[in-house]
Order: sequence, then C-alpha cells, then structure tokens
Amino acid sequence: MLKTIKPKNARTKRILKKREPKVEENVKTAIFVRGSTTSQVVNDALSDLCRLRRTNSINFTKKNNVHPFDDDTSLNFYCSKNDASLFVIGSHSKKRPHNLVFGRMFDGQLLDMIEVGIEKAITMNEIKSQKCSVGMKPLFIFNGDLFETSQVHKTFKNMMLDFFRGQNLESINISGLEYVISITATGSIVDSDSTAPSTSDGKIFFRVYTIQMTKSGQKAPRVELEEMGPSYDFKLRRTKFANEEVYKIATKVPKTLKPKKVKNIDVNEIGDKVGHIHVGRQDLGKLQTRKMKGLKRMTEDDQTEDWSQRIEGVFLDIQHVEE
Amino acid sequence: MDVSAQLEAQKSKYKSINVEKQVPLQFDLGLLASYDTNALEENKLKTETDNYLKAYTRDGTQLLINEIFQLPLTSVQDVGVVVELPKIVTAIPREKPLPKPKPPTRWERFAKVKGIKKNKKSKLIYDEEKGEWVPRWGYKGANDDGSNEWLVPVPDNADPFEDQFTKLRQAKKERISKNEARRRRNIEEAETGETQKLENKSKAGARALKKTELHQQISVAKTSTASLGKFDKPIKGEPSNTKGVKRKFEPNIGDIQKEKEARLNILNKIIDKKGEILNVRKAIAKNHQEN
Repeated sequence: MLKTIKPKNARTKRILKKREPKVEENVKTAIFVRGSTTSQVVNDALSDLCRLRRTNSINFTKKNNVHPFDDDTSLNFYCSKNDASLFVIGSHSKKRPHNLVFGRMFDGQLLDMIEVGIEKAITMNEIKSQKCSVGMKPLFIFNGDLFETSQVHKTFKNMMLDFFRGQNLESINISGLEYVISITATGSIVDSDSTAPSTSDGKIFFRVYTIQMTKSGQKAPRVELEEMGPSYDFKLRRTKFANEEVYKIATKVPKTLKPKKVKNIDVNEIGDKVGHIHVGRQDLGKLQTRKMKGLKRMTEDDQTEDWSQRIEGVFLDIQHVEE
Repeated sequence: MDVSAQLEAQKSKYKSINVEKQVPLQFDLGLLASYDTNALEENKLKTETDNYLKAYTRDGTQLLINEIFQLPLTSVQDVGVVVELPKIVTAIPREKPLPKPKPPTRWERFAKVKGIKKNKKSKLIYDEEKGEWVPRWGYKGANDDGSNEWLVPVPDNADPFEDQFTKLRQAKKERISKNEARRRRNIEEAETGETQKLENKSKAGARALKKTELHQQISVAKTSTASLGKFDKPIKGEPSNTKGVKRKFEPNIGDIQKEKEARLNILNKIIDKKGEILNVRKAIAKNHQEN
C-alpha cells in the first residue's frame, strides 16, 4: 500500500482532491501491463485495447513481474500509484499462450478478474479502414444467451461495459455514435453458477466496427458496418470473482443519484397516467351565499363616511331654514 | 396513382431498417448497449465467422440505433442532433466507495440539538456612520474592534495608564488562538472517531438538555412579575423552584438528645451488618451530608 500523502503545495492538493471518493466518479483509468514474458500478439493486443479507450488509459511498455492470480500486491501498487481501477495484464507462456487478464479494482483492492487466451488476433493496423475518433463512446452488442445464463460470461459482459463505456453522459450527439463493439459468445454451459469457465469449446468473439449511417426515408437511419479492428477470438481461462459483500458495496447507488419518488402520479393498468389531487379544507367563511342587503357588513370607512354625509346634510337643512 | 403505391415506391428507394428477431433484444440505452439472447447459427459461425458476425452485428446495431432514435432528440445549433440518454440500468461497480459525510463540528452538533438553522447573510452591510456599504467582517469590516483607529476611548472605570490599543490587540489574539484551538479539536475528534461517540451521547442528552432549559426559562418567567411571582397561582406540573433556597443549620447549642440520636443514626448506618469495621472516609462524608 502507498502511504498516505499529505499535500505540501496547492498542486498536489488539487491532484489528491481529484482522487478522493466522489458521488459522481471520474472516468476509470485503465493500465495495460506486460508480464514477465509476452508475445507479439499480446503486445499488439495491449496497445490496441489501450488505443480503444485512449486518454483514460496508460500503457506500460516495460515488462513487469506480475502474476495477478498468485499475488496481487504489486498490482495494487501499480493501480493506486496511477489512480487506475481497471487493468489488463498480458503474458505468454507454454501453459497459457497469448494470455490476457482483465481485472477491476475497488477501493484500492482487487475486485474481480477474468483471464482469456487469444486464439486469433487481427490488430487495428492490419485492417485498412477508417478508425473512430478519440474519446467516443461505443455502442455495445452482446450476442448469445450465455451472457444471461453463465456467471462467467455475465461478469465478462459487465467488465467489458465497464472497460469501454467511457464517460458517463446524460446526452450524446448522434454523429458521435461512431463505432460498435460486438461481443459474441458461443458454446454450451455446464454449470451456470460455477466460477470456472463453464464452456469447453466456447469462444468469445470480440469485434469492433465503425458505423455508417445512410438515409432510410424514415426517422432512424440505415446502418452499415465496416470492420475497424482489433478483432480477437478469446477463450476463457481462469477467473476470480468478487466477494459478494464487497460487490454490494461497490454497486451501491448514492442517494443523490437515485431517482426521486414521484408522489401522487400513477400509471394504471391500461397505461394511462393518473394524478391524485389533494384539495385542502374549504374555507366556509368565504363561501358565496345569497346576497342580501340587510346582512351586508359595513366596513369602518363606510360607517364614518356615512355619518359625515349625514351631518353635512343636517347643516344644509339648518342653513335652508335660516334663509 | 395510388397513395400506398407511392409510399411503396418511396420506401423501395432505400434499404430497409427493419430487422426481424425471434426474441426481442434487451436494451440498456444509458450505456448504448443491447443484449441479444437469440440462438446463433453454429455452422455458419464456424465456416464463415467474420461475415456472419458482421451481418449479425449489423442487425443488432440497426435495432439499437432504431431504439436510440426513439429517445427524445433535440437539435442544438453548431453541434447537431443530440439524444437524451436514460439512466443506466446495468449495475456497474464503482471505483471508490461512496464519500463519507463530513463529521459535524461541536457547534454543528449543538446547533442541531437546539434546532438552530444556518441562514445565509449578505456579505456587505450598510454602515450608517460611514454612509456606505462595508463587508460584514474582515478588512475594513463592520465588526472591526477599532484597534487600528487613531483614537480609542478609555472606558470609565479603566486604569487611565493602561494602553487600550495593546489591550484590544491582545484580546483579538486570544480570540483567534481560541478559535484555532477549537478548530484543531474538531479535526482531532473527527480523526479519532470521538465525534461519533459524542454525537450518540448528545442524541440521548438532547431531550434532557431541552428540559432543563425549559425549566430555567419557566423559573425566570415566574420571577419576572413585580412581586417576583409571590402571588402567582401555581401551574399544574410546574417545576418546584429550588433556586434561592438557603441552607439551614441547627443552632450550635440545642437539643442534646436530638443530636445524640442523629449521631447514633449515622453510626448505625456506617457500621455494616456484621458490625466490626468502621469506614472513616464514608463516615465523614455521611456526617457532612447529614449536616
């Protein structure tokens, strides 16, 4: 663990403040680490994946002796040092050729990891096509019912969403929908709850396409795809799932972000919006009844005016008499 | 020409945006994601993987785009068409735990118990002497103690040789250091977790505090009449006013029999049932109490 730093100047203070827990979090930073031995395939994969989520990723170009499934101390160190909560570790060995480990951290501790082997890879540069611009949010397409049934696949899906979703936005420009990440799982499940990869012949196809939108004569455009790369055929290997309690804390939604409860508005069975109106107690004092002159209450002004007029009248009468 | 035929002709100019799926897709539009659970064609996937995947993904993307275009669209000048995204449905773990609420200071705790609410004050106030708006506090502020003025009046009963300037400055320094000490104490208590303990304590004591305060106020109100409340009728449930009750002492020379009885009483209380050991400390305390 890193020792807690006490800021000595305003700059470090600002940096540390950015790293503090927040209600609405920063975009997660990912680090791409090379293990002690790597292959060209793994190196390319690491740099391509890094490129996909650029500006929020750090590529480690030197080799590091990390074995996340055996010992996660050095990994914790790398992540806390870079304020990263996502990591990909590439390695290559006889037992596990072209190996990638996707993982997440929570609160400086390892949350979960999934190890995949690259069976077939095409880098982004090998495919000659237009690439998406930097910092764009991708569309996600998950194909295959395994993503709903198998625990490993569910976790993998969640991890991919976490990795590539980018900024959290309230609205997005239509022209910013530039590329789509398609992840397709095949194979059959053996045990849906098991933590080990459940499919024997199963593969996960990772493809990235750019989107071209053309006129369709309707509101939504016609979509055509062009392969952008990188593309991988993954095979699931080892996994490490999150502790249930920790995961629960990690997915807690802050109170301020929860939608406010709407009072007095319901939607009934037919789908109509129904509103309840609460009418306050009626003020019977202001009730309009039949008007009668005799019951009319005079205000003070009226009364005094009345008197002064009458007195004037009397004076006039007296004057008349005198004349 | 028939209208429907015209429509048909218009449509045929473009490629269709409709996609048929057996099981409708699930969407999480906040993440721009769609989940397709339809069965894939295994043999096609094996023989012509890339083409099949591309075609299949195109269909999925088309459906997702169709869904996105049904969201509220607004066109913004110089930007283009902007889509409002709904909230994310899929739970994605956070990076760091939720921020902890800042532990309240002693004053904040006290204010909460007493129901004191912070109300915002304007920074400038009108100074009638100067005839202008001045800051409430700080440099040239309205609450300036006057130590920077060229003249400070000597109070009536003050020592005429005392330097009033240094006195004021000293007082200010003391106020500042006192405030600083309190600030430090608040930080310390927050770090050691003392605040939480104190808060729990004060929660329990809040009612008692209010009660004693009410009693004090009642006793003040009672003695606020011309006759100091001597002729007021007692109210039901009124606290007995113990304030100003003087201790009464027995006369130095009095009834010997009575005194003897009292002393023996004390002795009986102190010597325990077995009647051997005398606790001197206890005896003295008891004696004081009884007197």
